[in-house]
Amino acid sequence: MSGGARVVPITAARKGRAVGSRTDASPSRHRRPARPEEAALHERLADLEREIAASRTAQEHEGLLVTLARVLHAGARGLSWASLARLQRALYFAWHSEETDEFGADRRFTETFEPVLDFLYAVWWRVEATGTEHVPSEGPGLIVANHSGVLPYDGLMVQLAIRHEHPAKRVCRMLALDMFALLPALAPILSKSGSVRANPENAERLLGQRELLGVFPEGVKGVGKLFRDRYRLARFGRGGFVRIALRTGSPIIPCAVVGAEEIHPVIAKADWVGRPIGLPYFPLTPTFPWLGPLGVVPLPTKWSIDFGDPIDIEGRGPEDAEDPILVNRISEKVRSTIQRMVDGRLARRRSIWFG
Amino acid sequence: MSRIALTGTASYLGGRVLRRLVEARGADAVVAVDIAAPPTTLHGVRHRMVDLTLPGADQRLVDVFREEHVDTVFHAAFFTTPRRDAAYAHELESIGTLHLAAAAAGAGVRLLVLRSFTAVYGARGQNPNFLTEERRPDASSRLAWVRDKAEAEEHAFSFSRRYPGLGVTVLRFATLMGPGLHTFYTRIFSKRVVPVVMGYDPLVQILHPEDALAAVDRALATGPCGVVNVVPRGTITLLTALHLSDKLTVPVPHALAYAIADMWWGSGLGEAPGGFIDYARFLFVADGEKARRELGFAPRYSSREALTAYLEYRYPETARRAKEQGTGGKADAWEAPA
Repeated sequence: MSGGARVVPITAARKGRAVGSRTDASPSRHRRPARPEEAALHERLADLEREIAASRTAQEHEGLLVTLARVLHAGARGLSWASLARLQRALYFAWHSEETDEFGADRRFTETFEPVLDFLYAVWWRVEATGTEHVPSEGPGLIVANHSGVLPYDGLMVQLAIRHEHPAKRVCRMLALDMFALLPALAPILSKSGSVRANPENAERLLGQRELLGVFPEGVKGVGKLFRDRYRLARFGRGGFVRIALRTGSPIIPCAVVGAEEIHPVIAKADWVGRPIGLPYFPLTPTFPWLGPLGVVPLPTKWSIDFGDPIDIEGRGPEDAEDPILVNRISEKVRSTIQRMVDGRLARRRSIWFG
Repeated sequence: MSRIALTGTASYLGGRVLRRLVEARGADAVVAVDIAAPPTTLHGVRHRMVDLTLPGADQRLVDVFREEHVDTVFHAAFFTTPRRDAAYAHELESIGTLHLAAAAAGAGVRLLVLRSFTAVYGARGQNPNFLTEERRPDASSRLAWVRDKAEAEEHAFSFSRRYPGLGVTVLRFATLMGPGLHTFYTRIFSKRVVPVVMGYDPLVQILHPEDALAAVDRALATGPCGVVNVVPRGTITLLTALHLSDKLTVPVPHALAYAIADMWWGSGLGEAPGGFIDYARFLFVADGEKARRELGFAPRYSSREALTAYLEYRYPETARRAKEQGTGGKADAWEAPA
């Protein structure tokens, strides 16, 4: 008994009830006299649970550290399936909420990664965002941007630009390509940070809920393009984004991202490596895969994200979504507008690294 | 006087629906059509023994429906838990529904309500976040469990098309979890160690049985409405659900998971065949708007609350302790600025 009190002094007050009292014991359970070390273990477990609860409810991350320290202190003797499960639970809920929104966006998850993303935004790429006033302060909106950079960093940065620099601090969800939205490890990260898989049903539902959406109609052709093709916008899919904008009455806001093309300059693509492991392409850059893990560090280029005037959709409405010629015309108009914005920014840019 | 016939009354859902109907409308308003007699506590319930898997089942059912003046049928003879005896499951679910739908059409039944599963959509990477009723069930699934249910639905609709007098409602329920329910899914939530697919954490829906019963009530009271998803409020990620239940999760790479699960199932140890890995990897979340619109059904429980209700039933000790210490999880939901 006293041994337990010595190991975990906090529990001394609780000890009497948990071990000594027989009144609260269920009659069905046979209680043999607890050995001191066993009692100590029970005490520690109860304590652990309270620590975890405290770390969850009060968002005290010290609670998690205390948990870890206690488990390490207890050593192998204190470990059981149950205590491992509780440790795993504490680790999981340290950076996940217990509840997400219905699309899976997790506020605590985004808050956990915010410092890293803010660092990338403000220090690593020194993003300069202009024209955020063109993004509607309320109601639906479809932000259409050029895609590049091998990994979908540009989506995260467009999201941050609107979160930080838009007067209404709006949340923008990104539509993620299948190749990212279904990739192990990246799939839950994207979904928890508010992205959804790019398909017409998801886009229509979100715009119908008056949310702000970001989309990269170039798709895989854009994000995986070679360095020599940089800043030349690929074909804009089949204009699906225009149909959805027409159907939901959402304005289309063009967005030009400059700087993302150079973070991972793709010299060549080794598709014979990527295909068997389920990747649509396998990029070879000056650093990847030659430098191993260092090769995935993106280069610190200077970025600019420009939002333009909403595209004039010529007063068209939902019934025009079925007119393929019109849809293609608007789609091409969006593409050429973004290309022009990119070209204008490139002409003014003197250095890849300093803008 | 016309009666409601119920099949699968030995199942959890069928049994509860039977009990509710007996309490609401009296024992004489229902007839249980099953190979097993209803529980003796339900005194005076009419019981007709019909084996849906037998060749002459349809003729026998026509007689039963005519003699008992049946105008509504609730068909719940489906396996929630996958069976190793796939041939029997096929006979009961697919062929059994064929017999039942044929008999219902022949006996002039007005409404056939089928119990189905949102899992028949199939969990696929290409699914949108919310599946609506227009999406076809996954009839080419690698799981016989899914194919049989998809076929059963198709049989019911094909008879409804040929005999316009027969209306069909198919209730696709989300994964049920609640007090008193034992399925392969709840058994997974009763283990200490649960394998999960590495790098995936899909959203799932967990439906409280009370909500399921309320939806059946509404469907029996409303006319035929075709396919209707019956889903809870909100979604929950699979890992959140497992960690809230204090499970130790062991991540398995998906490239290995299917083969391991199949071997585990084949050896008689696993709870479900490898095809179910998809359901731990991809979305099969369904949209509940049509049930709200056409059945006037509003779920009382969220996915999270349904899970909690199950855990309180399954682990009363832990639940009591959690309540004492006041660790009831604070809602920390994402909210977009208005």
